[in-house]
Amino acid sequence: MRNAAPSRAPKVSLRGGTPPARSPWRGGGWLAAGIGLLLLFPLSSPDAFFLDVFTTGFLLAAFAASWDVVGGVSGQITLGHALPFGTAAYACALLTSFAGWPLPLAVAAAVLLAAAVGAGIGALSARLVGPFVALLTLALGEIAHEAAVGHTFFSGPGGYAWGGEGGIPVALPWRDAPPFWSYYAALAFLCLASFGMLRFSRSGAGLILRAVAGSPITAQASGVPIARFRRLAFTVGSAFAGAAGAGFVLHVGRATANDLSLELSFQAATFAAVGGRGTIVGPVVAALVLHVLFQGLSLPPSARVLLYALTLLVTLRFFPGGVVGTARDLASRLGGKEGARPPRRRGRNRPGEGTP
Amino acid sequence: MKTLLSAEGITKSFGATQVLSGITLSVAPGEPVGLFGPNGSGKTTLVNLLSGLLLPDAGTVRFDGKEITRLPLDARYRLGIARTFQIPHPYPALSVREAVRVALAVNAGKRKEGGGTREDEEGPTEDLLARTGLFNQRFVPCAQLSQGCLRRLEFARALACRPKLLILDEIFSALSAADEGDLMALLRAANRDEGTAFLLVSHNPPLLKALCRRILVLEEGRIVRERTV
Repeated sequence: MRNAAPSRAPKVSLRGGTPPARSPWRGGGWLAAGIGLLLLFPLSSPDAFFLDVFTTGFLLAAFAASWDVVGGVSGQITLGHALPFGTAAYACALLTSFAGWPLPLAVAAAVLLAAAVGAGIGALSARLVGPFVALLTLALGEIAHEAAVGHTFFSGPGGYAWGGEGGIPVALPWRDAPPFWSYYAALAFLCLASFGMLRFSRSGAGLILRAVAGSPITAQASGVPIARFRRLAFTVGSAFAGAAGAGFVLHVGRATANDLSLELSFQAATFAAVGGRGTIVGPVVAALVLHVLFQGLSLPPSARVLLYALTLLVTLRFFPGGVVGTARDLASRLGGKEGARPPRRRGRNRPGEGTP
Repeated sequence: MKTLLSAEGITKSFGATQVLSGITLSVAPGEPVGLFGPNGSGKTTLVNLLSGLLLPDAGTVRFDGKEITRLPLDARYRLGIARTFQIPHPYPALSVREAVRVALAVNAGKRKEGGGTREDEEGPTEDLLARTGLFNQRFVPCAQLSQGCLRRLEFARALACRPKLLILDEIFSALSAADEGDLMALLRAANRDEGTAFLLVSHNPPLLKALCRRILVLEEGRIVRERTV
């Protein structure tokens, strides 16, 4: 009979559970070189327009990575990710301009509000899968967008109004700051946010989320409360999206209904698909490259949307794993099976291995 | 005799089709029980109901003295009821080691809050991998595993919570003789060394006789016979 009561299972950490081929530090040289080039770029006295394009690109890249936490790592495809982004942007503008809050406090409150919105979306969509998550988040995002377009917060004499199409200004203490200030602040934010999201995706919770994304039924049969983990993904992803939204409104100086638009959500999903879903780094690189390329060419907005759609179609047809996924496939084909590689730091051999 | 799992009056219909009618069964702690029946007799539905994947229309399920009729699959796993699937659903993006780690970590619940080394933490995973013969495949993506290795992984996942009861749905089907022998040895070891009870669903009477002390025969949604081996 039973030797001992089956009390607790052995304690185990999930950290470091991936083989070194997927280490977050892999490719660190390329990353450092890229960041170095971006740090040096303002020193070449570029046009203020290009500084603005890059600054916006950094914020969009962080936003795309936050989409990847939800849609890539946890597999809940959201088409309403602009909702936490825009919520934070509006909260930041309203709290500084209307309520007169100090900026740091307003930003912190905006990020918390975005996380709460994410938790709410996560709770609503936790039991849904596939297209139903996309439809629900699309509907929620569009409701918020239409509300923002139609709602006027303040009407003054002479037709002056806050809200509606014109949006809401944010009270900035640095109106006359030089443009490279925003550039470096946004780059620092992108580095910190990407690192945080990468750590999350490589953590124990991230591994469980990847399990839930891959096979919810097996995850549940392994004791994973999948609804709770899906809520967690939405909460974390939305907090980072909110931080990007707050950064964006501080850069452009005004929250508008565009910050809640479907186009913005679609852009984030496109960046993630092109870069490689679930990789965090891929969407960041894709967002930077595509945004700088399309925006830098000064194309009209309708042409940019068309180009994003075409890029997405080409990626889904020819490189379904995105840039990073395709590169990994190529690397594993050229260098043998990735799974056969031994770990760099661990992996002691055990006597009798391979026999039950 | 003490009862580990008991089901009383379990009834389940899908639309107008009644699949199970008034099933009553019990499993004692450490008892190896077999469940035999023809295709369409309701074996998998019964397994799904006992493991929490489905909810019954009527009847109650009790485990270790607690009523668990409405408890979902994941909560039952954490209580000590682990199940395997007739058709495994592996995690496509995870390696074998990661798949085992998911089950171990979730079950550990409140994971260690400081203290302990990484080597200490890896012990249970590697022990389980070695025990189920998957140590050499630990970095292989689950999607690339053979049928035999997938069954072993199912077994490793199920054993990760140190279950009091294993529910095994056709785990020996479509296996090579060597894999079947290995899994039988594993199952016997879990039953003998850790006192794990199991409910083994199979089409194979000799295999059930070799492993089980009691065999229940299910036909048209009812338990029609019970044989002690």
